[in-house]
Amino acid sequence: MRLRVKLFATYGEIAGSKELMWTAKEGERLGDFLDALFQKYPRLAGHRDTMLLAVNHSFAPPDEVLHEGDEIALMPPVSGGAA
Amino acid sequence: MIEITRKRIDVGAVLDSVRRDDAGAVVLFLGTVRADPGVAALDYEVYVPMARKVLAELVDRARSKFGNLEMSIVHRLGRVSIGGDSVAIACAAAHRREAFEACAWAMDEVKRVVPIWKSEPARDARAPRRK
Repeated sequence: MRLRVKLFATYGEIAGSKELMWTAKEGERLGDFLDALFQKYPRLAGHRDTMLLAVNHSFAPPDEVLHEGDEIALMPPVSGGAA
Repeated sequence: MIEITRKRIDVGAVLDSVRRDDAGAVVLFLGTVRADPGVAALDYEVYVPMARKVLAELVDRARSKFGNLEMSIVHRLGRVSIGGDSVAIACAAAHRREAFEACAWAMDEVKRVVPIWKSEPARDARAPRRK
């Protein structure tokens, strides 16, 4: 299945792209996808503990089952606002 | 009103969007870009569709937590200069206590769960700037 992966803030710089397409096996979970992604981009792996994850615009746990066409977002801790 | 915008925030419009006859208090919070040493502006990156969704959920949660109130949140996207407003939160409620508390709670939540990142456009642009 094809997945759209979005990488925000510093993660996009680490991967060299803010968006990429990824092919995964049917029924794969978010955690499995991350393991595979970190193999390709080892410098992202060090951020795993603080990384926020979303599938189709909702925060998602690593055991979330992925589906064809899902949009996955890898996000550093957020820092909006000012002050 | 939930909005992510590249334009200057129209504070009057944000305030007007929450006014209602059964409210006895309207609180406005503005987050502004502070002139820290070496900082001339901040760049805001936003995951727009998710930010809109999370902000709408945040307003629903504010109502569950603080009761019947009206709330608007507008956040900037892109570059904001020193002194510029990066975020506006307006809250109207029957009484001032709920209005103040809901507004403060909402801003804390914006910083905690809404996918928005700021960075300095100068030489430190690679490092995300924490609050």
